[in-house]
Amino acid sequence: MKSPAATLAVRLALAAAALPVLMGAGGSEDLDPRTQIGPNPALPEARQFLLPPMHLPSVVPWKSGETPKVGADLRVEAFATGLQNPRSIYVLPNGDVLVVESRSPGIEPIRRPKNIVMSWIESRVTSGATSTGGNRITLLRDSHGSGKPEVRTVFLDHLYSPFGVALVGNDLYVADTDAILRFPYAPGETRITDPGTVLTPLPGGPIDHHWTKSLLASEDGTKLYVGVGSNSNITENGIGAERERAAIWEVDRATGAHRIFASGLRNPNGLSWEPQSHALWAVVNERDELGPDLVPDYMTSVKDGAFYGWPYSYFGQHVDPRVMPQRPDLVAKAIVPDYALSSHVAPLGMVFDAAGEGMPARFRGGAFVGEHGSWDRQVFNGYKVVFVPFGGGKPNGMAEDVVTGFLDDGGHAHGRPVGLALDRTGALLIADDIGNTVWRVHAAPQAADAR
Amino acid sequence: MTRDEFEATAPMIDHPVFLILVSFPIACFSGALATDIAYARTADFIWTDFSDWLLLVGIAFGALAAIAGLIQLATTRRVLGRQPIWPFAIGSALVLILAFLDNLVHTHDAWTSVVPTGLALSAVTVAAMFVTVVLGSAYGRRYSVVVKRPERVL
Repeated sequence: MKSPAATLAVRLALAAAALPVLMGAGGSEDLDPRTQIGPNPALPEARQFLLPPMHLPSVVPWKSGETPKVGADLRVEAFATGLQNPRSIYVLPNGDVLVVESRSPGIEPIRRPKNIVMSWIESRVTSGATSTGGNRITLLRDSHGSGKPEVRTVFLDHLYSPFGVALVGNDLYVADTDAILRFPYAPGETRITDPGTVLTPLPGGPIDHHWTKSLLASEDGTKLYVGVGSNSNITENGIGAERERAAIWEVDRATGAHRIFASGLRNPNGLSWEPQSHALWAVVNERDELGPDLVPDYMTSVKDGAFYGWPYSYFGQHVDPRVMPQRPDLVAKAIVPDYALSSHVAPLGMVFDAAGEGMPARFRGGAFVGEHGSWDRQVFNGYKVVFVPFGGGKPNGMAEDVVTGFLDDGGHAHGRPVGLALDRTGALLIADDIGNTVWRVHAAPQAADAR
Repeated sequence: MTRDEFEATAPMIDHPVFLILVSFPIACFSGALATDIAYARTADFIWTDFSDWLLLVGIAFGALAAIAGLIQLATTRRVLGRQPIWPFAIGSALVLILAFLDNLVHTHDAWTSVVPTGLALSAVTVAAMFVTVVLGSAYGRRYSVVVKRPERVL
């Protein structure tokens, strides 16, 4: 785009990137993110800046042989490279790994000058926002559990910004950004050519600000749960654009009918069953532009019928002044989420290590969280996979960094973790969208022996 | 008085390009105040989106007008009148700075992009703009009066 308005907007964006330091919004004022991890995060006063603090990483591809960093008791290798914006991973019962390669629908209209700046930032720090390719699912088969798949096929093609996958019996469900599709699947299949049928339309366009639709089948297979993100940061596109969004839907698998299972969840992803309590858990991206340390993203159990605050409030009754008209009746009902992950880490994937087979024993029963990272603070936060220990169905300790090095010390992003899964050996698989790689992390041999 | 002499007595910043350009910030900043008031009364986001564009377009054309005005001043070798140009120049710069700050406040999302700071800045911008326009027209008038007797000036 070369219109004068666009050129001016880009100049504004450059000034915005340089000016926060001059305006005293520098890194020294940021809280230690660790004070915002856990059930009772520190919540500073909301602040709105003339130019919000931000810091854009420059994207530098992984060099050959370069990998993320793990601790001494772990090993990390590339499971597959050369993918097209891999965003989520699903492991089929026979061990085949489905990698969902997706790109943003890119239909958010330019309603105001800020949209031009934001889409430019987005295109700078992601690989898939404007590119072609992707929108398909690649199958990887690693029969020997060696970490080197011997089969790689395009399993499903011509999807529309897909994200979630769930298999129930022989029905494979894929959550495109605008619909849940059902495909017939036969075990061992490496390619589906059936065009599929729509089970339930989902809120896609217009706008489609948060477009990833996370998907999870109930343990008895009768229901599907779908994460539907909000259509804005904080209702700047009008409350009318948020109908049935910022919610987790419960879809009846037989009829396709849906109801709102829980609401007030700005962008819920990583839907998972907690292995001990069998409760539904999600990771949620909270709102931006209230300062570098607001609002902490979180993971939470999701209760039937509950309201978690968005857009009217956060972490219970902290009212967001940007939403008008306000809704004190809903704010009063808002539930405090279970466990904050700290601000602007952008969690997009989660997996519970129920069996603890392929990873060191200390991870058994807890959750891994893929933190995509963002640019909404001066000091980077996220860009890593963390582990949250669980006991008795609740988090019971401090989060621990498990896989780092996606961002180097010079502020270059080589990769950004998104969706997570465990393969059939129990190793952790990480979809790295700008690195176009799936990483496989497993216990180092001596650690495995020590168990 | 010959016709040539009369034309030499016209105010300094009267070039049609300047007059066209400067009409944009006058209309746009006034419009942004109106759409901000509409947003404050309705909370309908369409009005704050209008304000964003009006402020941006007003600033862009205001900057172009400033450049055109400076070029005309620099390339016109006539002597200035007694009324100095700098109150108008400083006022114009102040209006553009206020509108720019206003535009930054308007990049916030939803209600607080307008209420209260954005709306206040839009009102201050418009007030400063009208004072500046008065200063500018006074400058033109005084100068016209003076240059009708060029021998006194020179």
